[in-house]
Amino acid sequence: MAADRPCFPTSIHLSTPNAARMNRALRMSRRDMLLGAMGAAALTMGAGRGTAATTPADDDAGVAQFMALSQRLTDRDALDPRIGHALYAGIVRATPQRHDQIQKLHDLMGGSTFGSARELARAAEKADPAFKDLIHEIMTGWYRGVADQKVVVYRSALMFDITKDAIYPKTYAAGGPFYWTRTPPEVALPKGEPALSPSKFVVEPT
Amino acid sequence: MPSDQDLSADVVIVGSGVAGSSIANELARAGISVIVLEAGPRVDRQHFVENFRNLENKPSYQGPFPAVPWARHPPDQVTPNDYLHTTGPDAEAYQQVYLRMMGGTTWHWAGCAWRYLPSDFELKTRYGQGRDWALKYDDLEPFYYQAEVMMGVCGPDPAREDLGSPRRQPYPMEALPISYAAQQFRKLISEKTPYRVVHEPQARNTRPYDNRPTCEGHNNCMPICPIGAMYNGSYSVYHAEAAGAKFVPNAVVYRIERDSANKRVTAVHYYDPDKGSHRVTGKYFVIAAHCIETAKLMLVSADEQSPAGIANSSGHVGRNMMDHTGVQVSFISGDKALWPGRGPLETNVIDNFRDGDWRNERGAYLVHMVDDNQVDLATQLAISKGYVGRELEEQIRYLASHTVRLFSHNEGLADPENRLTLSATHKDMLGIPHPEVYYKLPEYTVKSCEHTRGLFRDLIGLMHGTDEQWTPGYFPQDHPAGSTIMGTDPKDSVVDGFCRTHDHENLFIASSSVFSSVGTGNITLTVAALALRVADTLKKELAHA
Amino acid sequence: MPDVTRKILWSVLAAGTALTCLSPLSARADEQPSADLLARGEYIATAGDCVACHTAPGGRPFAGGLRISTPMGDVITTNITPDPEHGIGRYTEEDFEKSLRHGIRRDGSRLYPAMPYVSYSGMTDGDVQALYAWFMHDVKPVAESPPVTELNFPASLRITMAAWNLVAGAVPPETGDSATFDKLRRGKYLANALAHCSTCHTPRNMMLSEKEDSYLAGAPLLGWYAPNITSSKTAGIGNWSEDNLVQYLQTGHVDGLSQAAGPMGEAVEHSTSHLTDADLHALAAYILQVPAKDDAVEHSPREQVGKAVDTPDIRTGVLTRIDSLDEMDGAHIYDGNCAACHGSDGAGTSDHYAPSLFHNSVVGSARPDNLIMAILSGVDRTTGTLHVHMPGFDGNSDVQRLSDAEIASLVNYVTATFGSGDHGVTAEQVGKMRAQLPKTP
Repeated sequence: MAADRPCFPTSIHLSTPNAARMNRALRMSRRDMLLGAMGAAALTMGAGRGTAATTPADDDAGVAQFMALSQRLTDRDALDPRIGHALYAGIVRATPQRHDQIQKLHDLMGGSTFGSARELARAAEKADPAFKDLIHEIMTGWYRGVADQKVVVYRSALMFDITKDAIYPKTYAAGGPFYWTRTPPEVALPKGEPALSPSKFVVEPT
Repeated sequence: MPSDQDLSADVVIVGSGVAGSSIANELARAGISVIVLEAGPRVDRQHFVENFRNLENKPSYQGPFPAVPWARHPPDQVTPNDYLHTTGPDAEAYQQVYLRMMGGTTWHWAGCAWRYLPSDFELKTRYGQGRDWALKYDDLEPFYYQAEVMMGVCGPDPAREDLGSPRRQPYPMEALPISYAAQQFRKLISEKTPYRVVHEPQARNTRPYDNRPTCEGHNNCMPICPIGAMYNGSYSVYHAEAAGAKFVPNAVVYRIERDSANKRVTAVHYYDPDKGSHRVTGKYFVIAAHCIETAKLMLVSADEQSPAGIANSSGHVGRNMMDHTGVQVSFISGDKALWPGRGPLETNVIDNFRDGDWRNERGAYLVHMVDDNQVDLATQLAISKGYVGRELEEQIRYLASHTVRLFSHNEGLADPENRLTLSATHKDMLGIPHPEVYYKLPEYTVKSCEHTRGLFRDLIGLMHGTDEQWTPGYFPQDHPAGSTIMGTDPKDSVVDGFCRTHDHENLFIASSSVFSSVGTGNITLTVAALALRVADTLKKELAHA
Repeated sequence: MPDVTRKILWSVLAAGTALTCLSPLSARADEQPSADLLARGEYIATAGDCVACHTAPGGRPFAGGLRISTPMGDVITTNITPDPEHGIGRYTEEDFEKSLRHGIRRDGSRLYPAMPYVSYSGMTDGDVQALYAWFMHDVKPVAESPPVTELNFPASLRITMAAWNLVAGAVPPETGDSATFDKLRRGKYLANALAHCSTCHTPRNMMLSEKEDSYLAGAPLLGWYAPNITSSKTAGIGNWSEDNLVQYLQTGHVDGLSQAAGPMGEAVEHSTSHLTDADLHALAAYILQVPAKDDAVEHSPREQVGKAVDTPDIRTGVLTRIDSLDEMDGAHIYDGNCAACHGSDGAGTSDHYAPSLFHNSVVGSARPDNLIMAILSGVDRTTGTLHVHMPGFDGNSDVQRLSDAEIASLVNYVTATFGSGDHGVTAEQVGKMRAQLPKTP
């Protein structure tokens, strides 16, 4: 079963159909669990997704905190606020308790000086293992452009920004016919360490 | 929707994919009246392009094509899925996907347009394995070329790179220049192994062709070419319509009616999405509905005259299911950055194992080094490993530039036990049973896969690969074949060498379902060539009628 | 492939030629002309783009048969190969000269002025001689007659053409050896006597003759608009360098300025891309000194409009079912059909194979006509070894068929985002232009 396989360098294509199904089941159960955990909170907020007392779209303070966290966790000074707004809405819509967690992680960040994304992420997981999921979601949001398991941005995801000297997002190739014969840039073996404990890589069926 | 009295034509075709639409085009251009019944709807490209970009699970190539409820197609390659049910020891390895809509499954193929080898048609005679076809390579050669012109196939000059299938004409277009990654792979193979990497013939424009543009390498042949540089069946639909063929979308054929002698088909019946039933009469009928749906339709149409299903006096309808069930590995190359995913998806092949004396005991295969953009996967992986910020970006760049993926097409073999039947438990909204397939990988194919694994291990070593990940078991290649198998003996086959059913003189089948062996090359060009040969036969017979 | 140039030349004047009534008196010179003379004749024929009108789509060169629907009836071009029965094989050089420069047929009747003899009247004697020699000796005779043109009254009366000629007048021929002309004189000769630029680029008066005071100031053409190419910096091409214009005429494309599609694409493909560098420089130099004529609509240099647009592609993540053919808004139609090649930012491909949409005369123009026509009919232009192709999106497209409303939304999005602003193009406007597309046989 996929969950027991080493996760590097797992490819979606490596998954057998049954393993894929199992992965989907795992992901669903994890999601169900999260939803279950926040059930009471949702009830007290008096409404379901998107209609909570502070709807994500109007939560300017929340968006500001999310942007500040995102800048630190991506080691970037500038991130597009329009994307940030949409990601924040998706993340909080999928898991309303993220609203409070973002505030808490923002508080944690304000409590000391973190010189890098790695320092903050490490401290966060140490302080509360639940922050790990939140940080994954923030990374997934900015780099993959996905929140709430939905595409928020495709070509504007950061994963394409950091590879744009070499490759185009599928369906947006801008090199003209036969650009692919040219030599792409070399990439050195990275030396950096992970910040968070590893997770199982959830693959989806093709 | 036309009124019922309109529904009669010289030739009635079921299915609008590459087979059905190319027959319709040929016949309509010859002045023959044609009706094509397509179970799925009319579609257009721009919505699929947008669907792809909105799709979270990008590698899902069924993903951008959410089916209509009256003509479902399998969702992803998942077992069990709720449409194509598979059983048996290798159930997972037979999760074929396909599309039910105008133009058919070539909306999401990779454009690989192989001719079969002459030996592929004579497997039994040459190697004592499987079956022979009821035709020879030379019978099909002119139609291969006609199909290549129709689809717009690019390929190498045979004088410089002979792919083993003799040609009377050069490819319609020059071969596609291969990517940097493929160039490096080709160089390695030629320098460090006795093997070779060849340019794959592809139905893809290396120059403007047939009023469609040159490929710009969007790396998205599957699931959707955004600019129409790759052939799909919808072009033949358009051309056939312009020539006067009539296409009826959302027409789910469920019954094939015959005369009292059970020798000639007289009509087919279809449901519209509201389950209104319509009858369509004609002089000739062609079932061109994909290997799985074709066999399903023949079985669904069973009645008192033919209790085992249409054209099934041999009992072989639904049997002999084959595929290019393959082996796959991915790993991190220790050599230079390759950046796979620049250019089209599948452009190069190791073809040394497509034929050889060893085919008397193990199946042939070919190997693709897949040129698939790895950025999204690398990102998911790097995040799951716990990277953030600058270190995450370094990881993404490294993984996306160094991942190598190899997969093979391994030759299946006709085995009557590998069988499609009608589901006893699942029916669609029109009351038509779902297809169910029992599948056990033939030993012949298992041995082939073992050989492939050995080759892959050698290649990983040559590329100083690490972190290799093997797809457990076998994986389906979506090249199903054999369900209405071709042969000379009506007792153990369904169609003859002209794809005419042994049982019904005016019923033809145009699909990979007629393949007697499955070879190694992608099946589409052979499907198209067989279909054009059916059109040729029909033109001659209708001219004499 | 629809060949728009040919149709336009004809339909502008809604007329046709009929050179079929030939007397049996053949005076064809039998002595072999020199290779130089023949080469020169071929070059003149290319510069004059004779083949454009006198060849049917898919037909044999110069055998005529191009059919054009006009309000006055179907016009069919004639066979001008040297076949004695079906072509001009029995024309003497004098007969040939009369029809070429004066529009008078061998039987004395008048040619319809779609044959641009008003332009050709400026041709030197030497070039007429070379052209005649080439037609007679190097063009392959084709023994078939296209159908005869049958126009409606009054255009069917050739006598009316004599009256037209009185109004249109003719240019006195250049004298001397055209090959020895200085640069500007040579350029003028190429522009007027041969390439007949003004036939399309000069607006016409009530009598359908070119307005002399508006020489090259732009004119509509079957849905397309042949733009102002005077030296006006706001309305014309006054900001182009001679090299820019030479490159354009050679390749049909200059990065950051413009590209040729439709009739001009064909003129480049069939004619100007075959001219010598010296002739192209002469032609360009002459065109660029044509007096500026401003325009009622174009008020800022159309090639300088717009910039790259970087907007994140925020999405719904929602997929439509395969049978959804719902009309999308302009931004999504652009994303789904255009952005793959022209870029979501409009910058085109890095090799300029797909041009940038900003700094593009077509998108920057205050007239959206050529953008609409290019979307409908695509681009298909070959110069040298470069074949540029954009699929059309009309009802014959195999790539994607867009409705009038979809094209209107798309054009408004493109001009608003990358060009001269939203012109409020309507589906009805697009429908009218679609109706002007050449019919596929």
